[in-house]
Amino acid sequence: MPTPLLSIALTFFLVTNPIGNSPTIIALVKDFDFEKQKKILRREGIISLIIALFFQFFGELFLGLLKVQNFAVTLCGGILLFLVALKMIFAMCNNNSTAAVKQEPFIVPIATPLLSGPGLLTIIMLYSRQECNNLKITSAILIAWVGVLGVMIAAPYLQKILGKRGLVALEQLMGMILAMIAMDMIVKGSALFLKTLHG
Amino acid sequence: MSLLSVTLALFLIMDPLGNVSSYLSLVDGIDPKKQKYIVIREMLIALATMIVFNYLGEVIFSVLHLSETTVRIASGVILFLIAIKIIFPAPDSLRANLPNGEPFVIPLAIPLIAGPSLLATILLYANLEPSQPIMLAAILLAWLGAVSILLCARFFQRVLTNNGLMACERLMGMVLILLAIQRFGEGIQQFVALYAT
Repeated sequence: MPTPLLSIALTFFLVTNPIGNSPTIIALVKDFDFEKQKKILRREGIISLIIALFFQFFGELFLGLLKVQNFAVTLCGGILLFLVALKMIFAMCNNNSTAAVKQEPFIVPIATPLLSGPGLLTIIMLYSRQECNNLKITSAILIAWVGVLGVMIAAPYLQKILGKRGLVALEQLMGMILAMIAMDMIVKGSALFLKTLHG
Repeated sequence: MSLLSVTLALFLIMDPLGNVSSYLSLVDGIDPKKQKYIVIREMLIALATMIVFNYLGEVIFSVLHLSETTVRIASGVILFLIAIKIIFPAPDSLRANLPNGEPFVIPLAIPLIAGPSLLATILLYANLEPSQPIMLAAILLAWLGAVSILLCARFFQRVLTNNGLMACERLMGMVLILLAIQRFGEGIQQFVALYAT
């Protein structure tokens, strides 16, 4: 019984979780001016789409060539996100060194592992193994990304509502949440790893 | 370990795409023919260093009596730290303050291409990979890849622009982290298989 196209697309959208991630993403880009933020988010959205499509077609081949197992992908996402989260939570400590040095987020952490994270990549590879119908998965990814890009484009307006103080608070709060998402990935990765020990 | 995975890891640690812009700023103002000569000379020096360390690896580890498990876990940790540096570049890195003048050995051959991280990895891999020919082939292949990228440095910079180069570097860093975690996991697997009953 093949899964309908729309439900696959919805799954992809939910796993990517652009709405839940947008406060985090806003907190990450808050130091740039408005036009620049829009540009960054659009670019990151498109890069994450490219990563998702790449994994649909070449994911298994790629991981097989490198001899990388699934636990490594999950752990990798978790550890990277955790490092980003630590930076967000403890950003206050070196406040004196002005925001000017802060680097523009590029690919890491927004495009991957926040949007195209290990969860999404695993699900994409799973579906493309089940369905054997590449066109369907591709169109599901594309439909999901219409939604993701829409949220990405709308996200910068969110900060107009929050204001500058709100954003600073948001950064710390989102750091906490991000740390939990990261820990969740690390736990899942470790579980996968433990399974390889017994299997 | 297969030839491919060793080659890929070495190639990624050399980080030729990331070195393109620092290389171009180093040879800026030197005429193109001389540039080619410099690249080849520097790369040959780097290759010689790598091969020396490849043989050194076997000797050092047999003298120290280190087990394969140890080496695997150690190489996982080192690869991981290298990859973190590539993904989250520090402002006071080596690339930010390059010395001026025509490069001779330093800084292009060592440490930009054959840096401490690459040499450490070669030491570890030379110990993990029992067959010498595979190791040499991997070094040569990775080296050839790096040479061809540096020889076409201008072309890559024009086609990819600086942002594109950075994007490639970041993605390579991601792959390196994957390899690092995988290697670390293998080390732990071996450890558990050996000592846990």
